[in-house]
Amino acid sequence: MIELQDVSKTYHLGEVRVPALKHVSLKVERGDFVAIMGPSGSGKSTLMNIIGCLDAADEGRYLLAGFPVSLATHSELAELRNRHIGFIFQSFNLIPRINALRNVEMPMIYAGVNPETRRKRALTALAIVGLRGREHHTAAQLSGGQQQRVAIARAIVNNPDVIIADEPTGALDSQTSQEIMQLFAQLNAGGKTIVMVTHEVDIARHARRVIQVKDGQIFNIRYQ
Amino acid sequence: MYLHPGIIRDVFVQAVYSLSDNKLRTVLSILGIAVGIAAVMAVGSVIQSAREYIFAEFQTYGLKTIWIYRDWGDDNENKVVRQGSGIDNDDFEVIQHGCCSAVQRASPVVYSQKYTVTVNNGNDFYDAPVEGVGLDYLNINNDNILVGRNFSRNDIEHRKEVALIGLKAAEELFGKNSSYLNKSFRLYKRKYTVIGVLANKKREIIAQLGIDNYDINGRVLIPYTVYQSILGSKDVHTLQAEAVSMDKTHEASKQLEDLLQRSHGGRYNYTTETMDGWINQAKTYLRNISLAGLFVASVSLLVGGMGIMNIMSTSVIERTREIGVRKAIGAQNHDILFQFLMEATYVSTIGGFIGLLLGIVAVYVVSMVSEYDLNPSWSMGFVAIVVSMLVGIVSGFYPAYRAAKLRPVDALRFE
Repeated sequence: MIELQDVSKTYHLGEVRVPALKHVSLKVERGDFVAIMGPSGSGKSTLMNIIGCLDAADEGRYLLAGFPVSLATHSELAELRNRHIGFIFQSFNLIPRINALRNVEMPMIYAGVNPETRRKRALTALAIVGLRGREHHTAAQLSGGQQQRVAIARAIVNNPDVIIADEPTGALDSQTSQEIMQLFAQLNAGGKTIVMVTHEVDIARHARRVIQVKDGQIFNIRYQ
Repeated sequence: MYLHPGIIRDVFVQAVYSLSDNKLRTVLSILGIAVGIAAVMAVGSVIQSAREYIFAEFQTYGLKTIWIYRDWGDDNENKVVRQGSGIDNDDFEVIQHGCCSAVQRASPVVYSQKYTVTVNNGNDFYDAPVEGVGLDYLNINNDNILVGRNFSRNDIEHRKEVALIGLKAAEELFGKNSSYLNKSFRLYKRKYTVIGVLANKKREIIAQLGIDNYDINGRVLIPYTVYQSILGSKDVHTLQAEAVSMDKTHEASKQLEDLLQRSHGGRYNYTTETMDGWINQAKTYLRNISLAGLFVASVSLLVGGMGIMNIMSTSVIERTREIGVRKAIGAQNHDILFQFLMEATYVSTIGGFIGLLLGIVAVYVVSMVSEYDLNPSWSMGFVAIVVSMLVGIVSGFYPAYRAAKLRPVDALRFE
């Protein structure tokens, strides 16, 4: 599903070159659940951004579901994110002011799905994450856990191959975190490939593999 | 570039939300545009009304009219004194028989000076401009007969002592609200019967500008043959003709002048006048006012546009994260561009409609306090709305472009 070959990324802060990823290779099969761990500045966010098609690598090859992402244009990257990837963020990142239903419909709007199908699929996704009856609440009217559930519904609504989660429980209490992780496990059991960045060992435990990143390189892959 | 239909509604809803997030800022930007558009609307409407006024007054002369008369200065050149006006009834006959292809119709005009017209009872008198004219005079001058009839061929050939008088002249002579037909008055020792009354003509602006102070509604018209017999001469003082079309007036003037030169052996010089000069002068005058108005309106629209650019720039910065999220879930650059352009256009168009209303109110207020009856120009209203939309698009473009070009990673990292 995800295949990184010898990928490097360097940031230029003025005159200073900051290597963020150094010749990283990684393979994630369909249906895998991977946690990426590492201290801040280790390059784990860069790795996640590249896998999520948010950022482009300077060197190396990246294949997502067989598509050569490293050669994609901006527009193709946007389409890849739309069709193949669902994002879940630490701070939920719902669009403020509009309700849960419209937030979940958003990826389908950009995919050009017709309104009836859009609504039906959004309602289904909200039901999957356990938010039936909360469709018309805005972010401000939902708890953190509920907001993250809306975000998950938004991530899965276009039926992507890969879900990318960036510290998905970082802003939640442990009880809610466990609930969210159960939801992840459920999605993974349903065949979704999940790539999750976290620094919490308890959370990483839910993944099948833990990838340790340090100084821009993968130094350990642990199966659990 | 393909815009998903769902985006239009989404963008509209977003625009409403984000604009109502900061009401004061939004209201100020809307007002900025509204003032500019009100200026466009008011200035445009006033100019449009002025144009209609002036051209309606020009119509009272006939826009295709040509006047040709002797250039009395020709005596000085030749050091000989020549008698006569250089135009006579035979010339008119030649024109009548189709000498000149660019001339549609013509009428002799015979005049000398103001006459004191006296009503039959001998008590009331009134100074009227008197002209001797032909059958086509009314037609050329766009005159309307209120009651009665035009001169007939018979009146002219047999020198009938009949008259067409202006409504004002009729009221002076016979009092208001009386019947004027078949009443008679005395003019230069003869008695004339009124066969028709002419509708009043409006020449207010022309009179105010001092272009022509002729007492048009007080005039008394008699057959030119009758006037010639009073004056004891076959002279025609002015030949008034109508060209076949407005762009043929110069050709018609030339043809008439050639004809007169030929028939009088080149003994006189002639002067021709058309409405062209006045029309061009009025157009220049109106264009200058328009330019001045346009300048004022542009300045206020520029200020309004900068206001919109300002709120859109702020909005883009405030919503950087949102832009990042939208891009992460699949928004293309053009989706983001379109969203912010729509938002800017939405503000400016609301401003446009408010400005339109303000402009219409302004036109009615000016109309009430001034002596002129002004009307809002609806074509100008359409222009104003289109302009307001354009201002939104133009001033929203740069902020929208910046938003569209944000890298998703950077936008998501923004705090």
